[in-house]
Amino acid sequence: MSAAATSTGVYVYGIVRADDLAAVSAEGVSATSVELLERHGLAALVSRLPEGDVRVKRRDLDRHLHVIQEAFAEATIVPCPFGTVLASEGDVESVLLVGRHDELTTTLKRLDGSVQLNVNAMYDEGNLLRELLAANKEVAALRDETSYHAQVRMGELVAALVEERRQADAERILSQLLDVTEDVATDQPGEYGVLKASFLVSRKRVDRFDARLEETARMEHPVITVEVIGPLPPTAFARGL
Amino acid sequence: MSVATRGTSSNYLQRAPSPSGLADVLDVILDKGLVIDAFVRVSVIGIEVLTIDARIVIASVDTYLRFAEAVNRLDLMQTETAGIKELRDGGSSGKKKAEGALEGAKEKIPGVGSSDKEKSR
Repeated sequence: MSAAATSTGVYVYGIVRADDLAAVSAEGVSATSVELLERHGLAALVSRLPEGDVRVKRRDLDRHLHVIQEAFAEATIVPCPFGTVLASEGDVESVLLVGRHDELTTTLKRLDGSVQLNVNAMYDEGNLLRELLAANKEVAALRDETSYHAQVRMGELVAALVEERRQADAERILSQLLDVTEDVATDQPGEYGVLKASFLVSRKRVDRFDARLEETARMEHPVITVEVIGPLPPTAFARGL
Repeated sequence: MSVATRGTSSNYLQRAPSPSGLADVLDVILDKGLVIDAFVRVSVIGIEVLTIDARIVIASVDTYLRFAEAVNRLDLMQTETAGIKELRDGGSSGKKKAEGALEGAKEKIPGVGSSDKEKSR
């Protein structure tokens, strides 16, 4: 896809208000330093990429994350997706800091005082299937048949039962959290996933959100396990207009 | 999904202050954030092949068989209550079954890097 193996460029981690952040000490992608490019009260967190081919590595994912986390510890940030590279510092200024100034200002205001919490609710495979098996005679009967056809049929049946349950479970969990959140963005859950979602939560309500989630996890135990990661920079809520 | 660090001890909720595993990191920073027009963006080798479709679970025979295997594996875990027939059936292919169903979509995330030359991690 990339015919132009780009030699240089400016990597952009995110945008903050210029007054909110003095510097970032974390190492940038490709072992670069991170600088603040200011214009009209906004500042872009950028790294000038080295000459020659730039190849991203696993650790560059962590570097990107650490840069936006360090900035987020002190400032409201509109994070950019991993791999955002513009051709020049001039482009960062004209396209982002000037070209999207009003939109970025609005987004920063919307994100002020909030953190992102990533919630992943997953079925415990054994406990879920045991429950489904106990409640469904057809599955229980098919379990005793060893033919390929019966196995596929049983799997199909179980998959449908899981899907049916998943929707109800996801809605119930979501409904227990919505009144303590500012916004929510859901992701596709995996095979045994119930609900995978990012919540935008006011710092003032993080404790309440945590307590509510703890209560949810207690109620859903042992069929569903609940994990939460964060507080994180609001990456899922910065898409822009 | 494994979360290495637990921020607080609690009875039921598993907490981590920061993502640690690859899948969790990707969840936070890949395709998340300010959208910038493609025509002003520049590509860096490796980034454009960093795709994630592992979250999509396709309803297929393969999926059904994994569910079936998982159900059958339950017998092995409940040896006390399982009948002799169930034990025999489960035991005949138990080892293979154990490998199947827990192989979640997450494990299939490709490495980061150029697809043809480098699979850097």
